Amino acid sequence: MNAKLIGRTSVRDNIKLSENPSYPVFRELYEKQKKAIWFPEELNIQQDALDYHHLSVEEKDLFDTAVGYFSSSELLVQNVLVNAFFPLLTDPHAKMSFSTQLFMENIHSDFFESVLQSFGMDHAAMYDVAFSDPFLRKKQSLIVEEIDKISYGKIDPETLEGQKQVLRAILLNNIVLEGIFFYSSFAHFFAMKEMGKMKNVASGVELILIDESLHLQNGIEAILIILDESPDIVEDEAFVEEMRSIILKGLQLELDYIRSKFGQRSLLGMSYPELEKYLKYITDRRLVELGFDPEFNIHENPLRFLQKEDVKKLINFFEVSSTEYTNY
Amino acid sequence: MQRTVIKRDGSEERFRTQEIINAIFEIIKGMAVEDDYELVFRIIKELDLKVPERVTTEELDVLVLKAIEHLIPKHPVYDTLATLQLLKLINKRVGRQFSSFSQYLKFNIETGYLKEDLVQFDLKTIEKAIDYDNDRLLDYFGLTTLRDRYLSKDREQEVIEKPQWFFMRVALGIGTTEDEVIAIYNKMSRLEYLHSTPTLFNSGTNVSQYSSCYVNVVDDSLQSITDKLTETAFLAKYAGGVGTDISRVRATGSHIHSLNAKSSGVIPFIKVFDTMVNSIQQGGRRRSSQVISIQPWHYDIETFLELRETTGNAYFRTPSLNTKLWMPDEMMKRIEKDEPVYLFDPGECPELVEAVGDDFSNKYHKRIQQAEAGELKLFKKLSGRDFYKKYLFKLAKTGHPWLTFKDAHNRHNPCPQYGIINSSNLCTEIAIPNNPESTAVCTLASVNLARHINADKTDFNWTQLESTIQIIVRALDNVLDKNYYPSEASKRNTMDLRPLGIGMMGFAEALVQLKIAYDSSQAVEVAQKLGQFFREKAYGTSEQLAKEKGAFPHYEAVRKAGKAYAYPARRNAVLLAIAPTATISIIAGTTSSIDSYFSNLYSRDTLSGKYIVINKRLIEDLEIKGLWNDEIADAIKSNNGSVQTIEALRGKIDVNLYKTTYEVHPKRQIDLAAAFQETVDQAVSKSIYIDEQLRAEMEDIYLYAWKKQLKSTYYCFIDKVIKGEKYTSEVNKRGSRKGFGRQKLATPDSRLKNDSPDGLKTIELEARAKFGDELVDEVKKGNQETCPTDPLLAKLCPSCE
Repeated sequence: MNAKLIGRTSVRDNIKLSENPSYPVFRELYEKQKKAIWFPEELNIQQDALDYHHLSVEEKDLFDTAVGYFSSSELLVQNVLVNAFFPLLTDPHAKMSFSTQLFMENIHSDFFESVLQSFGMDHAAMYDVAFSDPFLRKKQSLIVEEIDKISYGKIDPETLEGQKQVLRAILLNNIVLEGIFFYSSFAHFFAMKEMGKMKNVASGVELILIDESLHLQNGIEAILIILDESPDIVEDEAFVEEMRSIILKGLQLELDYIRSKFGQRSLLGMSYPELEKYLKYITDRRLVELGFDPEFNIHENPLRFLQKEDVKKLINFFEVSSTEYTNY
Repeated sequence: MQRTVIKRDGSEERFRTQEIINAIFEIIKGMAVEDDYELVFRIIKELDLKVPERVTTEELDVLVLKAIEHLIPKHPVYDTLATLQLLKLINKRVGRQFSSFSQYLKFNIETGYLKEDLVQFDLKTIEKAIDYDNDRLLDYFGLTTLRDRYLSKDREQEVIEKPQWFFMRVALGIGTTEDEVIAIYNKMSRLEYLHSTPTLFNSGTNVSQYSSCYVNVVDDSLQSITDKLTETAFLAKYAGGVGTDISRVRATGSHIHSLNAKSSGVIPFIKVFDTMVNSIQQGGRRRSSQVISIQPWHYDIETFLELRETTGNAYFRTPSLNTKLWMPDEMMKRIEKDEPVYLFDPGECPELVEAVGDDFSNKYHKRIQQAEAGELKLFKKLSGRDFYKKYLFKLAKTGHPWLTFKDAHNRHNPCPQYGIINSSNLCTEIAIPNNPESTAVCTLASVNLARHINADKTDFNWTQLESTIQIIVRALDNVLDKNYYPSEASKRNTMDLRPLGIGMMGFAEALVQLKIAYDSSQAVEVAQKLGQFFREKAYGTSEQLAKEKGAFPHYEAVRKAGKAYAYPARRNAVLLAIAPTATISIIAGTTSSIDSYFSNLYSRDTLSGKYIVINKRLIEDLEIKGLWNDEIADAIKSNNGSVQTIEALRGKIDVNLYKTTYEVHPKRQIDLAAAFQETVDQAVSKSIYIDEQLRAEMEDIYLYAWKKQLKSTYYCFIDKVIKGEKYTSEVNKRGSRKGFGRQKLATPDSRLKNDSPDGLKTIELEARAKFGDELVDEVKKGNQETCPTDPLLAKLCPSCE
């Protein structure tokens, strides 16, 4: 078997950077991530304290749950990378790219930690929310249980079966968790900013969105490379179908969660039907990115206010923390 | 899905689309809309997704507004529609409480919110002058900004002022006769000019604080530091921006005689200001803010440069403060020639602080000689170039400190006998002599140039412009006497000098109307002409006012002392200052200050939320030519708001008119500021926008700003390179790879066609046929000096991709 992105490694291997990297895309992604680095201290979250205390009960619940969910999930991503995925990476440039992602997850966790502290939120309850809320628990379990299967050297990455299991783990972590679950909550923060609430926290989330879109690309690249290196995987139609259904299962769990939060009412100018359409739009994007056919054929993001995230931003510095400076 | 509307009285009824449709048709009535059915259909389609199963009528109103608002980037007609819907909501709500403007006035005087003397005017005449049709001049972003922050509210935070009442309330707080009040009202409600934000907030109310900015000076004593801390707190409380010069405070290690100990330097005291300003800035309608200014020969300058870093020792970081350098020419000359710069302790070399021009150079040289001879206790020698490079790196990274020029400010000081100009204000447009006992204050208003264009759009309407300037001079001069001064030092300065700050906004929009490209030499000529006109008319009015009411007291004082200034008597020491107009330009619906269009499509974060701004002049231009459609709109979006490389527009419109900020070379931006600075007696606040590609040229750019005799540069914006994944348009990350798609599905997704290698190959073949192999190979290697301008070649150029 030729050298592959995923394999058995030891600390002696791959400690040299080659001028001609085997996977130039990871060097590129490392550079991009490096330029995106930011620190929570750049945002004056304290400014939002008054806003926070004026949120309606429903808005506060949505905000708290989103913050709690991110607080523990950022660390979950970090754990998945370290425990399950990182030991199997054979390429030094890929390692740099993924360890930069790791570092960024720490920043995100640090950021949400400062949010928790700034507004006097119930620290323990917030970290528990991902497991105490019945709908979030299902989402979290989907990831955790799969990752457990490949952790602690339980698999042999040199076998086809092993490659498939790693693939499944990356798919769950980088695509379902970071690419669907996170994107759902992003919209909640941006909707708040849209209503003129919690603007500085939302500025931090804008930075996280930039980071996560790079992490998503890490995941997509890894998956596409594994598929390219082990063409046998795609030959297994049942497996391919299973991967597709995992993504759709993720979507269903997210929709159940949204339904539980929004129910029959509108919140922050959004309601269940448009969020459902939004998540289907996002899911279609994820499917197409991995080479699947789209499931829903929705070509337009129904949450139109999100186009504000797509265009250049001009900020009045006296009013809102800027996300437009680069630390590099 | 069966949906239910819950009405105000609690009763329920079925949600009927037809009712909404009728309501929208009601708003459209009277508007010239081409296809009203299409329009209503689009809104309803948008709304349909938003309406949940159970909805209150209030919620429904908001959702309808949101539905229309989200369509704004599609066409300006939605902007008008959203504005009308919001106006309807505001006027309806206020109308329920007050039947007329007079009733609103009387009620609010009784509650103690408005000043009693507002009813000294003939209210019938005033009431008759209100023109509600002017509501239609506001656009949606402007109106929401007014509603969220400017229109007065009661304790329950409900709006109690119609937009036209707001303009009239402000005018009543400024004018002294009915005629004057009405003239001010007319100009403002037609958006021909606006007063600065604090005036708009407070005019006519019992918080009569009209001024935007204060500049105080801290002396080298604990007493002065704590005094200025107190003064700053009160200035900040009333939403003024405060500039504070800290250059006099002795450096780290300097000797303190009374204690026989060494000083901990200036930085810990700056930290105290940071903590204070952060504690005051919450809660109000606007965050108060402060800039700390220092002369860069200060021994603690290296730590000062780091104040806005986000990592490192928290006691040496000031996240809530802005910082700026007050740079003498002598140091710029040394930087330019790569000679060393020396840092001194103002405790040991106090004479450097107030010395300007050649006098500074002489005193600086003398200290250098002493330093080299070992006669100074504290000094440091640095390479000028290295210091400059390090400074610019901090500027690019943290946005601070800004660069302002001490000698350029003082060369044109109209009152040198009063004192030197010790530093400028937060927004860097104020240049008024000040000292530890006299805090400079400035009260601002800005002309909207875009509303001073003649009917056939060939020139400015100079007569109208003249009348606007005359009204502003008188209005601002009134304000000086009505204003509440939070400190004695600030009152003293105003009463001595009576300074005004007349600026402008909408310069870029006016240029587009006149079909002049922002980065052309013609634009520079327009700037010079405008500046001269402003100066001539403002000074003329002020000289007239001096005849009516007397010259500014300091002028009289030196005349009586036999040391009269050479210029004719005028009412105000200074009159012109070009402010950034960040928020009032939003209300006026135009481009800010003398800046270019930031982009043709961009979003703006403000206290009221996030708004999409589109260049309406561009859309107008495209509509007339039948070119505006969803495809063009998407193309502009995916080009980050630029139209320079959109093939479909090539040759159809003059794309040079629509360059965005980062597409205008920073030196051209500086040229324009310099053209205005020739005649503006205070300063021009000019942010510099630098494309990431030009970052290496920063040293050159800021040297150029100095040589062009700018007094100030404000924020340095550098276009951010790494952006998030596009959220609302298609992105292809997979390329032509199959991923999970199986062999038999080999036909690539149709949407991905353009970027596939096959597509590129076709382009390459086409280019080879057109330009020959040699050129194409050069381009493909990417080692040409500049990127190709031809769009076909640009597609092959690796750095363009």
